[in-house]
Amino acid sequence: MPLKIDKKVCDRCGTCISVCPCNALLLTDELSVIRDQCTQCGTCVAICPVGALEIEKL
Amino acid sequence: MIMEEKFDIAVIGAGPAGSMAAWSAAAAGRNVCLLERNNKPGFPVRCGEGIGIRSLTEHSDARPEWIKREITCSAMISPNGTKVNITDIDKSTVLDRERMDGDLAQDAVKAGAQLFVTSPVIEVTRIDGGEYQCRCPQRTIISKIVIIADGVESRVARDLGWSTRLASDDIESCAFTRVTSPLIDADCCIFYVGSSVAPGGYAWIFPRGIGEANVGLGILGTRCTAGKPKELLLQFINRELPGGCIGTLHCGGVPVTRYIRPLVRHGAMLVGDAARQVNCISGAGIHYSLFAGKTAGKVAADAIGAEGVNYSSLTNYEKLWKKRYGKQQERSFALKDFVTHHTDDAFLNRIAATLTKKKSRKIKYLTVFLSTFSRHPMLLFKAFKLFG
Repeated sequence: MPLKIDKKVCDRCGTCISVCPCNALLLTDELSVIRDQCTQCGTCVAICPVGALEIEKL
Repeated sequence: MIMEEKFDIAVIGAGPAGSMAAWSAAAAGRNVCLLERNNKPGFPVRCGEGIGIRSLTEHSDARPEWIKREITCSAMISPNGTKVNITDIDKSTVLDRERMDGDLAQDAVKAGAQLFVTSPVIEVTRIDGGEYQCRCPQRTIISKIVIIADGVESRVARDLGWSTRLASDDIESCAFTRVTSPLIDADCCIFYVGSSVAPGGYAWIFPRGIGEANVGLGILGTRCTAGKPKELLLQFINRELPGGCIGTLHCGGVPVTRYIRPLVRHGAMLVGDAARQVNCISGAGIHYSLFAGKTAGKVAADAIGAEGVNYSSLTNYEKLWKKRYGKQQERSFALKDFVTHHTDDAFLNRIAATLTKKKSRKIKYLTVFLSTFSRHPMLLFKAFKLFG
């Protein structure tokens, strides 16, 4: 159940990065998730002001 | 082939804190670079753009072009719609942050700093000899001192041992946009409080001119769900400014926690949102950032001498911050904690009802929910005694 980023919705604001307990998000020209570090805790999903993140249900 | 370049001081992030730091260090004769992730500083604007005129002019060489609108009054709207006019706050302005941030970065360049745009810092490491290595996709920067101003995410500091992760009750999740509407009061900044408008935060309408305003809202992280700030903002605009033309929607986080300690580790310094230098009640941070950046840059420049770097002197920045704003920021956090745990809509309505009957000079109490209150923490307890 990986974290999915809707890049069309993401505004690249970095709010998710500030709450991530695992330092698993990285913002360069776009937001990306470091799969090895992400525990799919969902903290970033809840804080996103525009709803650009979700934990994909398989 | 990745280029490796050497500087005395590397500044990460060209917001107000970073650009002020780069400017003051370069003006003091140091070899400085300023690394900005985006392709230009100050865009997109992630800010309500409200600031007191005194705070702005005290800490920067403010240009008339930065000021979009001078504000003559402010008001708070309580959950049941009671409007309380606040007449005794400092004179406020609504800024053009895109212009201001661009000018501040250019000032740094004119003072001799080298600005690299489109240069996100992927990782910072301390290398042999105590110097810092900032790794960007295009280049690698080696510097004696690094000033970290990467904003709310404050990711870079984690590479150097700081714990900058924000708990959900220490961040406001915000959405904002520009609205054009004939219903906008061009002279008044209006704050809306209440759990249905902005749970654990407030909504704002800050005029930029006749018929145009910044409109936004923030929700406390613990009361936020995916996309809620955007959803509530659109509802708010439809309710308060029906028929208004809504511009591009942007979003961002505002830290509402204690400033990070220590602010200095060896040769690394934290400034601005990255250091959580934000007033926890109002969310205001521009004046803190201008001061912190300017101070950190100067202290860093002074620490570099002919015999090397006097790293221990960098802690002077933390001392100066603490003296000027640190205690005030700390009080704003204590108040935020108190307000978020001990107030509800009924309480806010009760305060508003009482305030509308008071003479305007008594309306200082209202600033509990705005900004100036943080300087007078005892008033909150008086307010509780009066209205509780």
